[in-house]
Amino acid sequence: MDTKISKLVLTLTVIGIISAVALSFVYQWTNPYIQKHQAEARQQAIRSVVPQAEEFEEVEKKGQTFYEGYDEVGNRVGVAMIASGPGYQNVIELMVGVNINEEKIYGIKILSHEETPGLGARITGQEYKSNFEDKPFGDYTVVKRAPQTELEVEAIAGATISSTSVTKIVESAVKQIQNAYGGGA
Amino acid sequence: MLKRLFKDFKNGLWRENPIIVLVIGMCPTLAVTNTVQNGLAMGIATSFVLLSSEIVISLFKKYIPNNVRIPSFILIIATFVTFTDYFLKAFFPDIAASLSLFIPLIVVNCLILGRQEAFASKNPTHRAIADALGMGLGFTWVLVVLSAMREFFGMGSIFGIQILGSWYPSMVIMILPAGAFISLGILVGIMNAIKRRGN
Repeated sequence: MDTKISKLVLTLTVIGIISAVALSFVYQWTNPYIQKHQAEARQQAIRSVVPQAEEFEEVEKKGQTFYEGYDEVGNRVGVAMIASGPGYQNVIELMVGVNINEEKIYGIKILSHEETPGLGARITGQEYKSNFEDKPFGDYTVVKRAPQTELEVEAIAGATISSTSVTKIVESAVKQIQNAYGGGA
Repeated sequence: MLKRLFKDFKNGLWRENPIIVLVIGMCPTLAVTNTVQNGLAMGIATSFVLLSSEIVISLFKKYIPNNVRIPSFILIIATFVTFTDYFLKAFFPDIAASLSLFIPLIVVNCLILGRQEAFASKNPTHRAIADALGMGLGFTWVLVVLSAMREFFGMGSIFGIQILGSWYPSMVIMILPAGAFISLGILVGIMNAIKRRGN
């Protein structure tokens, strides 16, 4: 207890300063790579939900970021956006790509989730995602059998909550896109 | 002297193994051992943080006043953890994505702070290095064995390579948190049985 307060303060301050300086160098060194990976991952996600597009443009509309995809002659072939909502365990984040002119969903891609492995995690599988491919806009119902109408989504066995969550997120994303792009007009 | 260094190193592998004997660092042990790749990456990341902070702390222990030693250790550990986090995100983005939150959480892994307090702050640097290597390796091998058990029974694969065919009904529970407790319990039981026989 005979150590002076000033020495304690000095010790922690010196360690703090050295750490901060060292880490800011590490940050400068690694950040470009991190940024690159993030951009690549996003690019890939957009490409997988608007496959016809050659080039993408980031657009801000009504406080939301949309990615407009254009083909090689410059026609807008689709719009993608990132949407998220509550899943079974944690937030599910996904990307939806739609064809505005035909009012159809191209497809979806799950960006992040923490659903149960082997059950809810199958929302990332092609079998479930194909539920949304080429779907017209509208209100979807989740069913526990083979879908009979276009607006029905087949739930994953044992993971109805995850299936419903994704469906709700997709539905709201489609509404937001319709809203921003003068939906249904 | 070399003999003592070897003893320090061996200590963490078996006699005072952090997971099986000391039962510390349970959070990553239970959370990330669902695949061998995750278990191995977590083991290496933790070992790196442990080694670097033991070196720094044993070098500068004379200058750190006793009253603020814990906050000082935490600051030093946090620096290396942040470095690891950036490094993995930049060069191994897939591993960083699958371990996500558990990399920053290495800061609060009591294995690391525990070794600083129990060993690095009392012993010379060369012994601290031996201790860190032993403890790190001891932590890593248990994580790998545990995750191999869980991945094998839960998905029929090891290191992402499918071993059992599609006839194998995956035991989903092994990949879930409950499977972590079950496999860890079995592992500790086996280790205790071996130890008892040795005595």
